[in-house]
Amino acid sequence: MRTVLTAAILAAALPAGAAELRFASTTDPNTLDPNAGNSAPVFSLLGNVYEGLVRRGRDMAIEPALATSWEPIGDGEGWRFTLREGVTFHGGEAFTSEDVVFSYERASSEESDTSSWFAPVSRVEAPDDFTVEIYTTAPNPIFVDSIANWMMMDSGWAAANDAERPNIEQGNFATLNANGTGPYRVTERQPGLRTVLEAYDGWWGDDRGNVETAVFTPVQNSATAVAALLSGELDLIEPVPVQDAGRVDQADGVSVIRGIEARVIMLGFPHDRDTLYGGEGDGNPFQDARVRQAVAHAVNVPAILQTVMRGSAEPVAQLVSPAMRGYTEGLTGYDYNPDRARELLAEAGYADGFPFSFRCPNDRYLNDEAVCTAINSMLAQVGLDPRFETMPVANYWPTLRADEHDVYLLGWSPGTFDAEHPIRFLLSTPNEEKRLGSWNFGGYSNARIDELLPAIQSEIDDTARQAMLDEVANILVDDAAYVPLYVQPLVWGVKDGVDLVQRPDNFLQLRWISVNG
Amino acid sequence: MLAYIIRRAFQSVIVLLAVGLVAFSMFRFVGDPIEQLLGQERTVQDVERLREALGLNDPFIVQYASFLGRALQGDFGISYRQSRPVADIILERAPATLELAFVSGFLALTLGIALGVFTALRRDGWAANIIMSASLIGVSLPTFLIGILLIYVFGVQLQWLPTFGRGEVVDLGWWTTGFLTASGLKSLILPSITLGLFQMTLIMRLVRSEMLEVLRQDYVRFARARGLSARAVNFRHALKNTMIPVITVTGLQLGAIIAFAIITETVFQWPGVGLLFINAVQFVDIPVMAAYLMLISVMFVLINLIVDVLYVWVDPRLRIDGRHA
Repeated sequence: MRTVLTAAILAAALPAGAAELRFASTTDPNTLDPNAGNSAPVFSLLGNVYEGLVRRGRDMAIEPALATSWEPIGDGEGWRFTLREGVTFHGGEAFTSEDVVFSYERASSEESDTSSWFAPVSRVEAPDDFTVEIYTTAPNPIFVDSIANWMMMDSGWAAANDAERPNIEQGNFATLNANGTGPYRVTERQPGLRTVLEAYDGWWGDDRGNVETAVFTPVQNSATAVAALLSGELDLIEPVPVQDAGRVDQADGVSVIRGIEARVIMLGFPHDRDTLYGGEGDGNPFQDARVRQAVAHAVNVPAILQTVMRGSAEPVAQLVSPAMRGYTEGLTGYDYNPDRARELLAEAGYADGFPFSFRCPNDRYLNDEAVCTAINSMLAQVGLDPRFETMPVANYWPTLRADEHDVYLLGWSPGTFDAEHPIRFLLSTPNEEKRLGSWNFGGYSNARIDELLPAIQSEIDDTARQAMLDEVANILVDDAAYVPLYVQPLVWGVKDGVDLVQRPDNFLQLRWISVNG
Repeated sequence: MLAYIIRRAFQSVIVLLAVGLVAFSMFRFVGDPIEQLLGQERTVQDVERLREALGLNDPFIVQYASFLGRALQGDFGISYRQSRPVADIILERAPATLELAFVSGFLALTLGIALGVFTALRRDGWAANIIMSASLIGVSLPTFLIGILLIYVFGVQLQWLPTFGRGEVVDLGWWTTGFLTASGLKSLILPSITLGLFQMTLIMRLVRSEMLEVLRQDYVRFARARGLSARAVNFRHALKNTMIPVITVTGLQLGAIIAFAIITETVFQWPGVGLLFINAVQFVDIPVMAAYLMLISVMFVLINLIVDVLYVWVDPRLRIDGRHA
């Protein structure tokens, strides 16, 4: 028995057959500073290097990381975290509550791109070295869910290297260097070209595969990445273009791993315009719910998924995918029914259709331009007259912000992996002061949803909370405030013998990868 | 002569300033850099603070003036994307592009001249005809297609050569070179063929037509009549006289090779300044775009200036015209 145990411990400490993994993705993280970038490429890479108090497991559920346990303080005044003892940063410094307080101050500072996570927080206290108390202004049941990407930095390291605050515009030591507690440390960083990660022997955990060295190369051109995978120069690429997935799957020595992402693709409407941006004459037909419902009936989502997405994506009727917390079960949206769409348009008094602007990005989401081209002709088939235009995303967002749009395409991936997130950003009446509705470009406003949101945010009881989320999801369908289309697919290409876990947030966790043979 | 050079130099400066002005007036059409810098959970305050810090609220003419002021002191600003000085990034990337351009230029020149002479001498031979037809492919196929074809055949199917990147490089401190390692040399082959193919066919066709012209000249006939060997006639007498236009074209094409390496670098993920520029456009990295465009225009203006000055030096008639102009 003892030998078996010893062997198991040894196996955990020294994974057999230490391997190298060469992987590529289209986008290089713009920084190694966990507070200077708030995007999937940054958190995906840094998730191997830095750790938070909590982390997400293989199934996206929250699990202990640098905190071993947590409990509410009093009657929803905040959360008390018990920290893991014996954790050291890559530089050798011990991890204590002082680092948590420092990381809070840094991540919530004005200079940080992650400060909105801490909007509900009133103060953070450290009663002793391994206890941290985070107080919130109102009861906040999803706070723990919302901080999985809040990464712990060493206060001494930051001070010694003059990086106590992130610097997005000028950069500082933490832009190019990292010192976390995670299973990998950054040993080489050439921005835009090459990043090398080496396993950190002093990591506290034992759930890890056998990747000793990981070399990350950003490859922008998908065709180049596919060629490099097929020729054996890369072990893992993300994404594989959906149109190449079949070919890659059939090739020898490589295979394709498919999943669904957290991102929901939808159509948005101009709710608060008096006249249409791309229309003729007065009035805004999209203020009539029947017109929006007609659009929903006009779009043949299954056909789009079959042809443009090659069967890789899943249709959806709400703003979150089934993998998210707070997903509403049993909700049906609008089926493809062009006759019903024409009827609804006629009832609303637009039997002959009307002109409006339909805008889409062409470099933001998977096959976005092709999807929109299909939608454009489907809308025309029921008698509508869309003026279709696509543009690079660098121009697209400013256009939407300037309110120069009617119908538009939007994708949303909830940072908290909770159904509350899109309600806050997409369905709330826009309010700069309260930081609400900042991506609600159409200015949708519904008094009942505005009333439900604070209640959802502070409801501790899961059943009551889900009932409110379900109510919002039903309002969204009835009102057709947005037309959710599908959940974006994840398509990775891997060399045979590479075992990995594909999570809906599209983060690559090196510690779950094993390379055999 | 000196007055002419000064006047041409002055004109060059005006050209540069105009390029910069056009570039800066275009940047706002590329998009809003803030959208790329901050994540989806940003607040209005974050956006305003950053916009002010980066000077994006200023009119483009003010942004241009402050760029020029700093550029004259050798400061090209800080990349929005990488948060590092642009000058450092460009110096880091330049060796990759220059080595690629050098190898492409060398291949284009040697192969171009050799094939040009061959096709001119064996005008009616089947080999020359095949080469001439094949050269049409080099002229007409777009670079990215040639690159992808080469990758597919030699990288994926035969697996002889790497499909992307620069291989292992040796860092000399001020320069990184791929010439000193086997993988570095292998990595150079496909991209340099892709980049140099167009120039090679251009030089080949130029050499061929010049050679055909020269071979008809009386002095070549007399040389033959004197009983000189074919080798001496073709290479010492004929080829030498075709070189003047070839050198001019090659000089100008060198600029084009460096500037148009963008596509080749993207297809092969070659870590040079062209790839940097494409990235900068995608992420609206204005400081990098500005520095790159200015450097490329400085290069073109300098090459043209040198060529113009050389012409004047060679041909005195231009000097007299210059004085009256």
